[in-house]
Amino acid sequence: MLPFDYARATDVDEAVNLLAADTNASYLAGGTTQLDLMKDGVLAPERLVDITRLPMRGITRDDDGLHVAALTTMEELAADSTVVEDFPLVRQALLLGASTQLRNMATIGGNLLQRARCRYFRDPGVAECNKREPGSGCAAVADSARMHAILGVSERCVALHASDLAVALVALDAVVHLQGMSGRRSVPLTQFYREARTSPDVENVLVHGELITGVTIPFLPATATSGYLKVRDRASYEFALASAAVALVTQDGTIGQARVALGGVGSKPWRSLEAEQVLTDAPANEETFREAAAAAVQGAWTLPGTAFKVELAQRTLVRALRNISGVAQ
Amino acid sequence: MSLVEAPPAIGAGIDRVDGARKTAGAAAYPSDFDVHGQAHAALLQSTVAAGRITAIDTAEAEAAPGVLTVITHRNTPRLPDGPATDIGTSPPAPLQDERILHHGQHVAVVVAETREQAVAATRLIKVTYDASEPVTRFDDPRAERVDDPWGMDSERGAVEEALASADVKVSATYTTPDNTNNPLGLFATLAVWDRNTLTVHDTTQWPTMARATLAKVFDVPESAVRVLAPYVGGAFGSGLRVWQHVILTVLAARMTGRPVKLVLTRPQMFTSVGHRPSGVQHITIGAKRSGELVAIDHRSTSSVAMEDDDFEPLAASSAVAYACPSVITRDGQVRLNISNPTSMRAPAEGQGNFALESAFDELAHTLGIDPLELRLRNYAERHPVSGMPWSSKALRECYEAGAERFGWSRRDPAPRSMRDGDELIGYGMAGVGYPWYAVPCRARATVNADGSAFVRSAATDIGTGTYTVMTQVSADVLGIALDRVRFDLGDSDMPPSPQAGGSGLTGALATAVRDACLGVVRRVLDLVSEDAGSPLRGCALEDVIVGNGRIHRRDRPDEGESYADILTRHGRQEMTVDGASAPGDPSALGMAFAGAFGAKFVEVRVDADLGVIRVARVVSAIDGGRILNEKTARSQIIGGTVGGIGQALFEETVTDARTGRIANATFGDYLIPVNADVADLDVLFVGEPDRATPLGTKGVGEIGLVGVAAAIANAVHHATGIRIRSLPITLDELL
Repeated sequence: MLPFDYARATDVDEAVNLLAADTNASYLAGGTTQLDLMKDGVLAPERLVDITRLPMRGITRDDDGLHVAALTTMEELAADSTVVEDFPLVRQALLLGASTQLRNMATIGGNLLQRARCRYFRDPGVAECNKREPGSGCAAVADSARMHAILGVSERCVALHASDLAVALVALDAVVHLQGMSGRRSVPLTQFYREARTSPDVENVLVHGELITGVTIPFLPATATSGYLKVRDRASYEFALASAAVALVTQDGTIGQARVALGGVGSKPWRSLEAEQVLTDAPANEETFREAAAAAVQGAWTLPGTAFKVELAQRTLVRALRNISGVAQ
Repeated sequence: MSLVEAPPAIGAGIDRVDGARKTAGAAAYPSDFDVHGQAHAALLQSTVAAGRITAIDTAEAEAAPGVLTVITHRNTPRLPDGPATDIGTSPPAPLQDERILHHGQHVAVVVAETREQAVAATRLIKVTYDASEPVTRFDDPRAERVDDPWGMDSERGAVEEALASADVKVSATYTTPDNTNNPLGLFATLAVWDRNTLTVHDTTQWPTMARATLAKVFDVPESAVRVLAPYVGGAFGSGLRVWQHVILTVLAARMTGRPVKLVLTRPQMFTSVGHRPSGVQHITIGAKRSGELVAIDHRSTSSVAMEDDDFEPLAASSAVAYACPSVITRDGQVRLNISNPTSMRAPAEGQGNFALESAFDELAHTLGIDPLELRLRNYAERHPVSGMPWSSKALRECYEAGAERFGWSRRDPAPRSMRDGDELIGYGMAGVGYPWYAVPCRARATVNADGSAFVRSAATDIGTGTYTVMTQVSADVLGIALDRVRFDLGDSDMPPSPQAGGSGLTGALATAVRDACLGVVRRVLDLVSEDAGSPLRGCALEDVIVGNGRIHRRDRPDEGESYADILTRHGRQEMTVDGASAPGDPSALGMAFAGAFGAKFVEVRVDADLGVIRVARVVSAIDGGRILNEKTARSQIIGGTVGGIGQALFEETVTDARTGRIANATFGDYLIPVNADVADLDVLFVGEPDRATPLGTKGVGEIGLVGVAAAIANAVHHATGIRIRSLPITLDELL
């Protein structure tokens, strides 16, 4: 057996202190990623600090938006009345993101920290993985498969960030709230993740011991339309080959505000300011959408197996924009 | 015995007799068995695909908590291979030397007090490999090619000349990937030695063969080995061999003197219990302008492991599919550094039919003839090779009834002509003839003095409905109510049975069960032959009918006696008789033995921009001869159809060419259809009882899968105008 200690924290300070004191410790929330990786021998923490009893549950709303405590489950958030009414984007991403069983276990904080679904990363029998062993190389690049990312990647690592929820949240300018040994801070989700091409093994800005305590999701303007479109081989229970989270504020056929994020293609949930720039102040039509889509995949880095995602991501984005704008083809 | 001709239970769609047990969790699958004092085994598998082990350090693992022993090639005794079977050799004995022939090869077994301790200790074993570059591609010049491995290549007529003079020709290459059987039940073995007798709970489709194999490998008499598999959590062919992990578990039990249990992990299931091998097929079909076929040339190559074998003649069935004067079929294999393939539901047929029926659709499109009409114009009224009449063939009725149910006449023949919003609509179809397969079988029937019956055979029910169907056959032949009949299986101590495979078990077993039950009636009549007071005195089998637990005179149906009365009067606790069945001789009967036939009609929806493919509905019209249980047979066809959807759109075991490692050995990465992918599946049975078997059955275990992939590919072409000749068909190919 791989022995590890288990501690259950009762408040946030205790949890942070327990972790900060032990560089080989990890937090345990829903466990839907952490335990899989431990069973597969990818992660071997010497101590798990169970945070599931911390007072970090519940959803509140005020003028700033929706405040979601980190231990809220995916299912709880999807069922929240404000989410149902005002955040279709979030609800769709949650429902398409996991089965009911997983949604009942997985937490919002944990979802944002889910690890790459790369089968090379998840098999310790594969020696070359810069994400597991910095400097060891990347077997996935040599043996190309179609599930990898094309944005924010390089020959050092092509691993995909597979979350659906995070794609919706970066589009919505969500902010994550953190607490660590040096206090509290809040980070826009768009600045939370790091790209695999620069740091395969460091996926976000968290320092050791820092805990996600909650997420704030600002409201979109009341006139905005939004939606999440997920494209995959089978009808359910699969990560996205491409997905798009989009929101538009349109007046008299002209786009006033736009939000665009792509999933299934990035080493992080991929907000595309380039696409938003094309859309903003442009007529809401197919041509604009195509131009925005082309802008969104600028800089794609592909393998033979992933080259199709450049086209698929664009078509997915165009369809998502068309769906929410009512523009006919 | 009139009730066999007009049976009340046979044919009825009765619920599974084991359904309540399974639903309640009371049915024990192989991994559910535990015995006092058992130890647990875990496997360590090679991380290279070719080469040799130069060093293996087990010291740390042996010293780890709970570890009883570590087995490697250095301390494994020389073991003989198992016996050859009807369907090929046994896998070679494991851990016999330091050579590595595939990634995922077992290189060590750890036996420990708990499963977790065993798994953890495998990670402490240090293996040093001298790795060489694996042969993983068909086109690798180092790959050894085996031509006509099964002696089944065929040729008739003059193909070359016929193709040269054909009005129209289509010629194309079709490829199919490795698919992994992936039954839900993880394969498990529990081995218990008691002195020199061995009891094994195992995931197997064939206890009789497993017993013979273990007896030979461990040099004990067959009578000293008992293999139990009362319930099997699916197998789809992967339980047709005694795999190396089974041998290793039995060996571990012998070496430790403890019962040992091993349960494979899901990733290990991808390399340890077979898979459907990848294949490349070239087909050329020549036809007259009228659509009349003049020649078919079908050649295949499939992959096989370096030192094992597998039966996959992909092209062979093309020789008998259509009335065509000139046909060549050629099948070969290439040896690769891969784990060994094995039968996976509809082996060879599933791949071969995809190529033939896709090519047929291409021919229909080229000729401008409706695909259904083209098949009818080339319908094989008699067996195309022997020229004999079929023992049964209602393929024409399958085409007609299926087309009617599906609404085939609504199809606009032009590709990309049918649309619903963003979705392109495609209709596709395929025809199927599944080969006849039969093997000897034995069964034993008992009628007890209380009037109940107990019938058994060493068969398995891998979810197919064998328990239920054989209960029905027993009840009808004996004339005893269903709820008074128990049918049991899954124990090698019972009379020998063939495998649950080849769509052959139901025919072989039902005939043996019938024979055994008739034997009981005959022997009970013998008992009363001298009974002055018995109305049945002097009656032979032909003179009686059975029903309600009684035997009656055929000429005076109100006169008869119950089994219970007769046995009790004669002081008998029970009457037990063995029965047997053996394959018939086609030439003696003057007919070509037919397997099942089928016609598959599919509607797909393809998103015009995104390429997303969804199967909207499937109609399967099946000629399965006499259907013993309409409900379980329907479930078989539905399950097969789901497997066909998987083959067509999702399933691909991806092996990295560079390393020989399987890159998607989990259920998250290896896609099979989920419920949302399985829409409206309609099944209809047509045809008559087959003339060559006493009960008129034809197996339906595999016909459900075959043809689905071709029908989907043809529907995708109809929807999009894009012909995909490589499975699985994925959205990136349609962008």
